[in-house]
Amino acid sequence: MTDTPFPLSRCSSVTRRRFLSTLGAGVAVASAGAYGVSVWGRNPDGTGIPAVGTPTTTTTRVPIPAGAIGTPAAGNRTLIVIEMGGGNDSLNMVVPHADSRYYELRSALAIAEPIDLDGDVGLHPALPFVADRYQAGQVAVVEGVGYPNPDLSHFASMATWWSGARDASVGTGWLGRFLDGTVGTADPLAGVTIGPGPTPALLGDTSFQVSVQDMTGLSPRIPQWIDTREELLGLWQGFAPADFDGAAALNPVRHAIEATASAQATLNDLLGAPDVSDPVVTARRQRSDLERSIEVAAALATSPVAPRVIYLHGWGDFDTHEGQSDRHAAMMSQLNAAFEQLFAALESAGVAERVVVMTTSEFGRRTASNGSGTDHGTAGSHFVLGSAVTGGRYGEPSSLNNLDARGNLVHTVDYRSLYASILDGWMEAPAEALLDGTFETLPLFT
Amino acid sequence: MVNQVERISHVYRRLGFGAQPDLVTATATTDEAIARALDLSTSPQAAPAIEPPADFDASRDRNQTQTVIAYWLDQLATSPRRIEERLVWFWHDHFATDIRKVKIAYLMHQQHLTIRRHATGSFAELLQAMSIDPAMLIYLDGAQNQSGARNENYGREVMELFTLGRGNYTEEDVVAASRSFTGWIVLRPGGRAEQVIDGDPWSAQFVRWRHDTGDKTLLGRSGPLDTPAAIEVLLEQKQTARFVGGKLFNDLVGWWPDEPTTDRIAAAFRADYQIMDLVSAIVAEPAFLSDDAILAKVRSPLEKAVGLVQAIGSDGRAWRGLGETLRTMAYVPFVPPNVAGFPKGNRLLDPHRLIHTFDFSSIIPPDLPEYSPTEVMNRLGIFEISPATRRVLAGVAGAGRMVLAVNSPEYHLV
Repeated sequence: MTDTPFPLSRCSSVTRRRFLSTLGAGVAVASAGAYGVSVWGRNPDGTGIPAVGTPTTTTTRVPIPAGAIGTPAAGNRTLIVIEMGGGNDSLNMVVPHADSRYYELRSALAIAEPIDLDGDVGLHPALPFVADRYQAGQVAVVEGVGYPNPDLSHFASMATWWSGARDASVGTGWLGRFLDGTVGTADPLAGVTIGPGPTPALLGDTSFQVSVQDMTGLSPRIPQWIDTREELLGLWQGFAPADFDGAAALNPVRHAIEATASAQATLNDLLGAPDVSDPVVTARRQRSDLERSIEVAAALATSPVAPRVIYLHGWGDFDTHEGQSDRHAAMMSQLNAAFEQLFAALESAGVAERVVVMTTSEFGRRTASNGSGTDHGTAGSHFVLGSAVTGGRYGEPSSLNNLDARGNLVHTVDYRSLYASILDGWMEAPAEALLDGTFETLPLFT
Repeated sequence: MVNQVERISHVYRRLGFGAQPDLVTATATTDEAIARALDLSTSPQAAPAIEPPADFDASRDRNQTQTVIAYWLDQLATSPRRIEERLVWFWHDHFATDIRKVKIAYLMHQQHLTIRRHATGSFAELLQAMSIDPAMLIYLDGAQNQSGARNENYGREVMELFTLGRGNYTEEDVVAASRSFTGWIVLRPGGRAEQVIDGDPWSAQFVRWRHDTGDKTLLGRSGPLDTPAAIEVLLEQKQTARFVGGKLFNDLVGWWPDEPTTDRIAAAFRADYQIMDLVSAIVAEPAFLSDDAILAKVRSPLEKAVGLVQAIGSDGRAWRGLGETLRTMAYVPFVPPNVAGFPKGNRLLDPHRLIHTFDFSSIIPPDLPEYSPTEVMNRLGIFEISPATRRVLAGVAGAGRMVLAVNSPEYHLV
């Protein structure tokens, strides 16, 4: 019996060859390193892998050749994104306490005693760590961030923030395009999402993201009654034998299995991989909790894996139409604790200088309170934290006296300016190509 | 050469939503398989009746969402109108609409029924219907598009995603199309419009004073275009049949057609935009049954789920266990990740989705019969099995063998 699953004649036609080469299996690809497996290789023209079965005309507006951006120095840098889902009320996070109009609009919901930063604005009282770091010059507060013709729908607004392109139908996310242009499929752990599943922000054409929920890492859920459960992952790797024939139709999947098994082992070594059949562990993973996500982010960022992008999502219930005072304060407190927990880990590992954290949220909230809460709004403030950050206030606070027709803030900084500043200043990537346009960059890094 | 049973299975996998193993073995030739897959002579199963919600609060009923999705998943696995299921999914992906923005399960279900009604009929009628479909009017902001306050979301996407493809229209065309589409609203119970407009709750209504009655020039055609007229202009474009035809070819065969092939299938399609004419033209291409086409696509999470349900025997309860796995893989009907539809191709072979393919094992019943390695693959509709796969499957018995078969290289492709 031979190891060649199909006769070679199956691969004789041009079409079959084209399919195989798009998956890179026309070339035998050897594994290299623990997780830096070269999975599917490249097209001869170096453009990486077009998504088979996907019309490139509608998905590849910004083709970024793999390996075209990024340098070894930049390769050590990690961006951690904390997405505040539901629309964070950043007026109560970065409080314009010197503006009496704020207290009129917010009445009972106004933050009476923010932690003053500079006499004009202050932070929510639950953010003392952020305030300390601001005074130490390690926090950029970017104000007035939004996008033109704002859509007050959560989903439409998120789609805009995720895509980072003129029009969300580009189908990829801004960080997915960054990975397309840097590592492609060569490093399955270059982009890690921590949350309930993959994020569209990391959706690329020629790269992929690993998505984990917690310290259980990349672990399957197999019912306990299956008595061979423990052996299955090990046996599964047998589908990718070391000596498989480079011409078989199944080889692209075998390469993917090999790379995945490798990434899985790396992650689980790193995270400790608790037994997922433990009901306590299983129950815990159902929740989305920032503290648990940060635990994973810190473990990854301080390890040799050092993903280029770590994206935390699914945290928070920022859609505070009612009961805002308590709910928002609790989340601000969690956010503060998360930063504290993360930076303690980064600093004790001595890697703080190569990690930057930024916040995103689909929109801010309505300037006027609706009583116990706030409705959907537009522009907002965001934090960029890290020892590499040049601290201070950036952008222009949106005026509380010049609201749009719906009583919302008018943005002063395009969200793609924030992205461009990060891509250009921190990731050393060509922001213009990745964002499909030229946007002013803020000098967040020196 | 691929063996004959595998080729028959291929026909059902591509023209339906999975190869029910008993059906494959009961089919003698690929011609017979094609005829059975394209057969629309049986009556469709009745869809569940979803009552229009009384108001917006009542519309956010999670049970309704679950009922609607469960009905669809069951149809995917069991409907004998196989090509209809393939096309209903194709059109949902094409006209991707997201319940997370629309929010109203009733309207998603109505859109689904509209797609179902036209899925094997006329693309011209489908496109006209989708252009004033209430869920679509909400999803792509058509309901906000009015004279003097234009919203260009639908005007752009209808050309970029639904008809012409990027690069085949100008920004001026986007403006002209958007102006033509002005005037439509969705009649929300309890809303202000309800006091002055007589109509069914949640129906799309044309409000004359919101419509821009001026002349527009769309793709070279001028006049006081409205929605039906503007859609007609899009349908007159040769590129529409080429783009949509090429996309369906890619779905059924596994790659985008070359120019001569595109010409042939587009000519068959454009005659009167009958979708089944297009399907027949694609199936008649030698590429469809070629060795190259077999396993040339990456199997989607939904196809994996449906194939497993078919392998172990359909059971309404099974879908509940699959819902969480489909969510994990971001592949839930009515929840496309963005307006461009669901991910396809290589990006489905990412580590996250490969590992969580194991999660499908939650629906394997403890009383699963003891299958041999060959039998277990056959249950999954796979009849050509690699030696490596046989070896791995021989190394484990019982339910574990089915779990590994679902995670085999063969089953990741389709």
